[in-house]
Amino acid sequence: MKPPAAPAPSAPSAPFPDDALPAGAVVEGDRLEADCEDAYDYVVVGSGAGGAVAAHVLATSGASVAIVEEGPWVHTRDFGERVYDAFRVLFRDAGMQVIEGRSYIPILQGRCVGGSTVVNSAIAHRTPEDVLDDWAGMDLGGGLGGVVTAKTLEPHFDALERELSAHAVSDDALGDNDRRFLDEATMHGLLGRRTRRYEHGCRGSGRCFTGCPNAAKQGMSVTYVPWSLALGARIYTSCRVERVVIEGGRATGVLARAAGAPGRGERVIKLHARHGVVVAASAVQTPNLLRRSGLRARALGEHFQCHPGYGLGALFDDAVRASAAGAGRMGATQGAEITSLRRTDRVKFETLALQPELAAVRMPGVGHDWMRRFDRYASFAQWAMVLRAEAEGTVRSAWGGGDKVRWTPSPVDMDRAVKGVARLARMMFEAGAREVWPGLHGVPTAIRSVDEVSAIERMPREPRAFSFLSTHLFGGARMGTDPRASVVGTDFQTHEAARLYVVDSSVFPTNLGVNPQHSIMAMSRLAATRIVAGGRARNRAA
Amino acid sequence: MKLSGIESGWAMAALSAMFPGSPETGLEGIAAMDVSGYLDDVMRTRPFRAVLGLRVAVWLVALAPPFVLGRVATIVGLAHPERERLLDGLLAHRTYSVRMLVMLLKTFGALLYAGDDRVRARLRPARLRPLIALRLRGSPR
Ligand SMILES: Cc1cc2nc3c(=O)[nH]c(=O)nc-3n(C[C@H](O)[C@H](O)[C@H](O)COP(=O)(O)OP(=O)(O)OC[C@H]3O[C@@H](n4cnc5c(N)ncnc54)[C@H](O)[C@@H]3O)c2cc1C
Ligand code: SF4
Repeated sequence: MKPPAAPAPSAPSAPFPDDALPAGAVVEGDRLEADCEDAYDYVVVGSGAGGAVAAHVLATSGASVAIVEEGPWVHTRDFGERVYDAFRVLFRDAGMQVIEGRSYIPILQGRCVGGSTVVNSAIAHRTPEDVLDDWAGMDLGGGLGGVVTAKTLEPHFDALERELSAHAVSDDALGDNDRRFLDEATMHGLLGRRTRRYEHGCRGSGRCFTGCPNAAKQGMSVTYVPWSLALGARIYTSCRVERVVIEGGRATGVLARAAGAPGRGERVIKLHARHGVVVAASAVQTPNLLRRSGLRARALGEHFQCHPGYGLGALFDDAVRASAAGAGRMGATQGAEITSLRRTDRVKFETLALQPELAAVRMPGVGHDWMRRFDRYASFAQWAMVLRAEAEGTVRSAWGGGDKVRWTPSPVDMDRAVKGVARLARMMFEAGAREVWPGLHGVPTAIRSVDEVSAIERMPREPRAFSFLSTHLFGGARMGTDPRASVVGTDFQTHEAARLYVVDSSVFPTNLGVNPQHSIMAMSRLAATRIVAGGRARNRAA
Repeated sequence: MKLSGIESGWAMAALSAMFPGSPETGLEGIAAMDVSGYLDDVMRTRPFRAVLGLRVAVWLVALAPPFVLGRVATIVGLAHPERERLLDGLLAHRTYSVRMLVMLLKTFGALLYAGDDRVRARLRPARLRPLIALRLRGSPR
C-alpha cells in the first residue's frame, strides 16, 4: 500500500485544526437524543496515539471508518491553564487513577479525543533496536516472526516524523532549566540532548499537561483525528465501548453507551464493522475491553509493565523558569534528556517544566517553610528519572466496571531507582542547586549539600518510601505466535477472534526504556497498513 | 456527598495551616479563597475513592493532635505553629497510609492555592530575589 499522503503540519496560528470540522463528522454521545446504529468498514476504539494513526491509514485507503472515543472532544480554544480543571475534563478518573501494589502509584492517562497525546510532552523516540532484538528472541512461540523489526518499522517512523514535524527543541523553546541540565550532562560525559518532539511552532509555554493552547503540539486531536474526518471518517465522542461483538469467531462490531442528551437518559450505540474492529484503548483499558468481549486467553491482563517516574525538585539561586522566548516562559514542557544510561542503569533522565500547581504539590513541608519555597517558584527546577522496571503486574476489571492494575517494583528495580535518584540529586547540586528535595520517606525533606546525598544511597529499598508516578504503560495483551503465551498474533489479530485487531502498547512484549508514543504510533501504522493489504487480498480472493 | 459544617471547619484549619500566605511578600493565604466552594466541587466531581480518601484525611488531621502532639484538642483548637507541626509530623509519619492521606489533602489544597489567578500573578520573575536570606527550619526526618 502507498503511504498515506502527508498533510502539511498544522500552523500554530488560528484557525486551529480542530476549529472547523466536516459537518456530521462528530457525533457527541452526551447530546444524543436517541439510540443509534450504523455500519462501517472498520470501527476503531480509542482516538489516542494508537487509534488515531490506525484510523488515518484506514481512511486514506478509502475505507469507511468510525472512531469511538470514551472522552469528550476538548478543543484547542477551550484549553485552560488550571490543572484542577484540566484533570477533570482531560484525564481518566480526573487524574486519580492508581496502580495498587506494595505502594500506590498514580497513573496518568488522557480520556478525551486524542487520548494521552493531548496531555503529554510529545517526546518522540524510535524503538531502541536492542529492545526489538529482545522481543525477537523471547519465548512467545518464535518471537515476533520478523514482523516487528527495525526495518519494518523504519518507513513508519519516517512518515510519522515528517507528518507530525518531529524535531529537536528549538533555541527559543529551550528553557534555562534545560540548558543547565545539558551542561551538567556534558560535564559528566553523559549523552545529554534536546528532546525531539512532535511540534510545530512550540512557544515554550510549558503547558503541555493541560493541552497545548497554540495547537503547536501535534497531538492526535489536531492531526490524525481531524485529518481522518476530512477523509470521510466519523467520530463518536463521549461513547464508551462496552464490548466488541464477536459472532462466529469474528469481530463484527461494537456496542457502546453514552450519557445521552441531558434529561434523555443513557443511549446505546451499535456500530457494525464489515471488515474489522481495531482496538487502541490503551494498555490498561484494552485488556479489560477484550475480557468484557468474551476473550479468555491465559495471557490476557498479564505481563503489565510500566516506567515508574520520579521527579526531584530543587531550588537554585537564580531564575530557571525562563526561556529565550521570554521571561516567565518556562521552555518546552520537557526540553532535555539523558538517554545514555538506559542500557547500563535502566534509567533515563529528563527535565520537567511544572506548572505552579504541580510544583506546589512537589514542594516539601507545609506552612511558612512551604510559603518561602513557593515564593521562589521562578528558581524551582524539576529533573526526573524514568525507570525501565523489570517487574510485571496484572490488569483486571474492578468492581463497578473500572480497571484494577496491580504492580510492585522488584528489589532490583528499587535498587536502580535509589541509585538513579541519588545520581540525579548529585547532578543538581553540581549544577548549582541550593537545596534538593528528595521527597523520600526516611531521608531529610531538603538536603543542602552534595555530601548529604549519601542519605539517599543508604535508604531502604522500599517502594513505600517513594512517590512514583507512571505515564508509560505496556503489556496486558502481548503479541506472540503462541496462543498460550500471548493474546495477539503477529498480524495484530487476537488469537481468539478473527478481525479483532489490537494496535496499542498492550501488545508490547516488554517496556522500552524510552518514551513510548512514537513506538505505539509506528506499530499502529504498520498494523493498519497490513490490515488494509489483508483486506485487499481478501477482496481479490472473493 | 458534601463535607458537613464541622468537616469543612477542620479542612479549613488544615489547609490554612498548609498555605498560610506570606505577609512579607504579599502572597495571600488560602483562607482568602473560596475553600468551601472548592471542596464542594471536589466532592461532587472527583471519583468516589478520591472523595472518600479526602474525607478520611480530614478526620485524620482533625483528630490527630492527641496522638502526634500529645494535646487533647482537635486541629481547630491548636495555635497556628502547632497546626504546622502536626501536619509536618503526619506527612512524615511512619505509617504509609497516614502519609498518603495527608498528602492527598495537601495535593487538593495546592491545586486550589497555586491555581488561583492572584497567586499566579505574584509568581512573576520580577519578584525573584536571591536565596541568601532564606532561612529554612530543620527538616523532619
Ligand atoms: C502526562 C503524560 C505525559 C507523557 N509524555 C510522553 C512523551 O513525551 N512522549 C511519549 O512518547 N509518551 C508520553 N506519554 C505516554 C503516551 O502519551 C502514551 O503512551 C500514548 O498516548 C498511549 O497511546 P494509546 O493509544 O495506547 O493510549 P491513549 O493515547 O491513552 O488513548 C487511548 C484512548 O482510548 C480511549 N478509550 C479507552 N477505553 C475506551 C472504551 N472502552 N471506549 C472508547 N474509548 C476508550 C481513552 O479515552 C483514550 O482517549 C505521556 C503520557 C502522559 C499521560
Ligand atoms: S510547551 Fe507550550 S507551546 Fe510548546 S507544545 Fe507544549 S503547550 Fe504547546
